[in-house]
Amino acid sequence: MKCTRLAVLMFSSLMFSLAFTAVAVAKDDCYSCHVQKGMQGYIDKKSFEQSVHGGLDCTKCHVGMSAYPHGKVLKVNCGSCHFLGREGAPTEKALEYKLSVHGQALVAGNTAAPNCQTCHGSHYIFRSTDARSETRRENIPSVCSKCHPAEFEAYSKSIHGKEFLDNKNPAVPTCFDCHAEHRIPRTNEAEWKLALIKQCGNCHAEELNTYHKTYHGKVTRLGYTTSIAKCSDCHGAHGILPPSDPESRLSPKNIVATCQACHPGATANFTKYYAHAEESNRAKYPVLYYTFMFMTVLLISVFAFFLTHTFLWAYRALKERMEKKGGE
Amino acid sequence: MSEIRRFNSYHRILHVAMAVSFIGLVASGMPIKYAQAPWAIWLTKFLGGYQGAALIHRICAVITFGYFAAHILYVIHNIVIVRKLKFNPLGPESMVPWIKDAEDIYNNFKWFLGLGPRPRHDQWTYWEKFDYWAVFWGVGMIGVSGLFLWFPVFFSKFLPGWAFNIATVIHSDEALLAAGFIFTIHYFNTHMRPEKFPMDTVIFTGTMSLHELKHERPLEYERLAAENRLKDYEVKPQAAWVTDAGIIFGFAIVLIGFFLLILILLGQFYY
Repeated sequence: MKCTRLAVLMFSSLMFSLAFTAVAVAKDDCYSCHVQKGMQGYIDKKSFEQSVHGGLDCTKCHVGMSAYPHGKVLKVNCGSCHFLGREGAPTEKALEYKLSVHGQALVAGNTAAPNCQTCHGSHYIFRSTDARSETRRENIPSVCSKCHPAEFEAYSKSIHGKEFLDNKNPAVPTCFDCHAEHRIPRTNEAEWKLALIKQCGNCHAEELNTYHKTYHGKVTRLGYTTSIAKCSDCHGAHGILPPSDPESRLSPKNIVATCQACHPGATANFTKYYAHAEESNRAKYPVLYYTFMFMTVLLISVFAFFLTHTFLWAYRALKERMEKKGGE
Repeated sequence: MSEIRRFNSYHRILHVAMAVSFIGLVASGMPIKYAQAPWAIWLTKFLGGYQGAALIHRICAVITFGYFAAHILYVIHNIVIVRKLKFNPLGPESMVPWIKDAEDIYNNFKWFLGLGPRPRHDQWTYWEKFDYWAVFWGVGMIGVSGLFLWFPVFFSKFLPGWAFNIATVIHSDEALLAAGFIFTIHYFNTHMRPEKFPMDTVIFTGTMSLHELKHERPLEYERLAAENRLKDYEVKPQAAWVTDAGIIFGFAIVLIGFFLLILILLGQFYY
């Protein structure tokens, strides 16, 4: 039967071609449908090809797509390259993410926890220095605000947030600078709390220096974070305002309550403590300056007198002892 | 051979309390003063974290206030009850510095420089009186500033908050003065100088030999002999274990003191 023979040949050639395409579905095959506007899974070909993944085949990420019509599209797992370093993918940030509060939540089965795509998007991933990047520095607060609206609200009103968002000053801290980008540690991690103090000091060097002269600063310098004031305990975290602002934690209206958080019963008098005293600043802290001077003069005088006394005595006593021995 | 009593058991106990609490205060306080030094981190860990160190510091502070009060009571008791107010505060048995002390300082320097004979001392030399009054000054300054820092909320009822900045400077620098002085000058004057090296145990045993009294404190010896009072001070020598315990304890304190002194000196180099 010729008909049957033809059907068998056609079927086997179809099977052959399908088998062939199974190992090499070309990008153009995907584009042939997915560049059509209104298509489910629409791709802006030009943008995608300029993105950091533009050189990759679709099937590198969309694994299991081997034939048309393809079945259900699986969730893309960035980690298959970025955890393992396949295809030259950088792993450092992804592995940091894995340790982060976000990554740990995801591993624990929280499906609402952000994965890579939540922040980076999917097809149009650009370097963070690129104006088209979702994760460019200027865009970070808005990325984080998707899940953390209250923190964004406080930040946007703060001295840092206003400068960053309204005055477009990229040098002031934004979410990432304190929360350590991909690493995003739990906020109760002691190591992170200590790192934050240094982080504030990157810009506020003088304040860090004077903080280190107080009991608060000395204890944190020894590596302890519990029951001791760190920068944010007094100044706040997301909503830092200058003390001149009535809403600031350090305004005359609020400072007593701020100190009372650790020192129950503290009064307005108590808040006159200089949390950033500098004993060498005579103009600003005259009593402290003169106390320090008095103590310095006292120490130098006592040690100068008695060390001289001691060395001369040692000299004389040794000399007498030697003379005695020599005479014997 | 009998010995001469210099310190009674009350003196000796108070000195041990003082030595132990002082070491405790320095060891638990200096890591805060020199928090930037690497050794401060492990010393704090060793003392049970900063809260453990703070607890040790407060316990030793209470001991300090205790021995200080005990001494004041002793002095009052001694002058009012024992001596029935017949006590010359400017005499040789008093701790009050007087003209003889100024002369002794001058003459001692002359002796150091080979320009004169060694001054002849009575019961209390000028450097011993200095040590004695330094404790009043030190406990007063460090104790009061320390209480401010211990109970800031209470004291801020009477004082502005910046008083605690002043108290911090006084507490910290006075502590450096006290520790630096004890671990160098007091140690040398009483233990390390060639006549005493390596240790004078009189504060631990309470007794010294008659020979030592004649040699070290000739005026006291002559005075007691002339007043026929030497026999009042004659005591049996201490049991060997008392002397041994005194040596062991004294050495331990001296060595810990030297160790802390090295840490303090190292601390000065870290900023």
